[in-house]
Amino acid sequence: MAANMKAVKLRIKSVQSTMQITKAMQLVAASKLRKAKEKADNSKPYLGTLLDTLHDIADGNHDFQSPYTKAGKNDKWLYVVIAGDRGLAGGYNSNLFKFMESETKGRDIEVFPIGKKSVEYFKHRNVPIFTEEFAEVAKVTISECFSVAKLLCEAYKEGKFGHIFLCYTDFVSMMSQVPKASPILPLSDLAVGDGAAKKNKSLILYEPDSETVFNTVVPEYLAGVLYTSINISVASELAARRTAMEAATDNAEEMIETLSLYYNRARQASITQEITEIVAGAEEP
Amino acid sequence: MATYHLEVVSIDGLEYEGEVEKVLLRTIDGDVEILARHTNYCTGIGMGTAHVTFADGTERKAACIGGMLSVMEGEVRILPTNWLWSDEIDVERARSAKARAEEALKDARLTKEARVRAEAKLYRALVRIGSAD
Repeated sequence: MAANMKAVKLRIKSVQSTMQITKAMQLVAASKLRKAKEKADNSKPYLGTLLDTLHDIADGNHDFQSPYTKAGKNDKWLYVVIAGDRGLAGGYNSNLFKFMESETKGRDIEVFPIGKKSVEYFKHRNVPIFTEEFAEVAKVTISECFSVAKLLCEAYKEGKFGHIFLCYTDFVSMMSQVPKASPILPLSDLAVGDGAAKKNKSLILYEPDSETVFNTVVPEYLAGVLYTSINISVASELAARRTAMEAATDNAEEMIETLSLYYNRARQASITQEITEIVAGAEEP
Repeated sequence: MATYHLEVVSIDGLEYEGEVEKVLLRTIDGDVEILARHTNYCTGIGMGTAHVTFADGTERKAACIGGMLSVMEGEVRILPTNWLWSDEIDVERARSAKARAEEALKDARLTKEARVRAEAKLYRALVRIGSAD
């Protein structure tokens, strides 16, 4: 019994120290989340308006001079996948990868991973990787987004890929984050209107000409989309981590409660036994 | 004068939304002023000072860098990479950024990429200084 009690006590201690860690992680995630959420909230209108505008342009576009507007002949898909740098964020990374798996089934893909977990996962799966230069999502700044956009534009113009998609985790609310994939190039992939709506649209005037406009606008658009999606993904990661750590802390608390109950019972039983033994010893002649 | 609905959304968030009379800004093709009932239009934004005239006739200036301008069915959207209203500009900071960029450009051994970066920094600082009140 005594050995058992010692084991239980050790177990309580270990659970307690785990709880300390999960509690600390929860608090850190919560305080970081406040800032990240603010950033994500500021980014959302930009992303929304940008996509709306480009949908309109894609719908109304009759001009196929620029390589960015028409669908490429190449049947290769490039996925830019934004995941986290670290684990212990609940289902944040695995949900995204699972979603990617179903999304890319049967397609000839190459991946542009952003985030250490993303790099690890696709390396492990032997998926061809475009570049590993931007492995750490925490370090990606706005100017890095511009370099990524430039790389993507060059690769697309060279005809290496027919379609470029962006895969990230959308921040729906504090409690729910949903993985999402959206087309970013060519712009014709962005069109949502049907044929009838297309005919009704009037022509758009491009100045000085459509090619120049798209050549300057597209890299900026890509950089903007990337930057805002990264902000939103980071907020999602922190929210997922906070929720997961909250659950872990609650579980640890519950475990400690059950274990202490067990420990106290064992302690009481051993005391009772001791008393019985002493009494029995005293009664003997 | 007739007014129209303008939305200015930069990466840092919604900068302005509401009725305006006209907007003057520098595009990649030179200065352009958008009035009400403009035809569908799309262009890239250059680097310069934007002048927004509101429905009540007051005018506000802003440093407007990069991005795109689109007019779609009367709805005008400005999506700059960087937008700073003139009263938000930190002139001291812009001046020191200008000095730093100029210092960097003096170095003859600069790589091409670093030179492009320093030049962009210099232009940004100049636009900000020029747009401040």
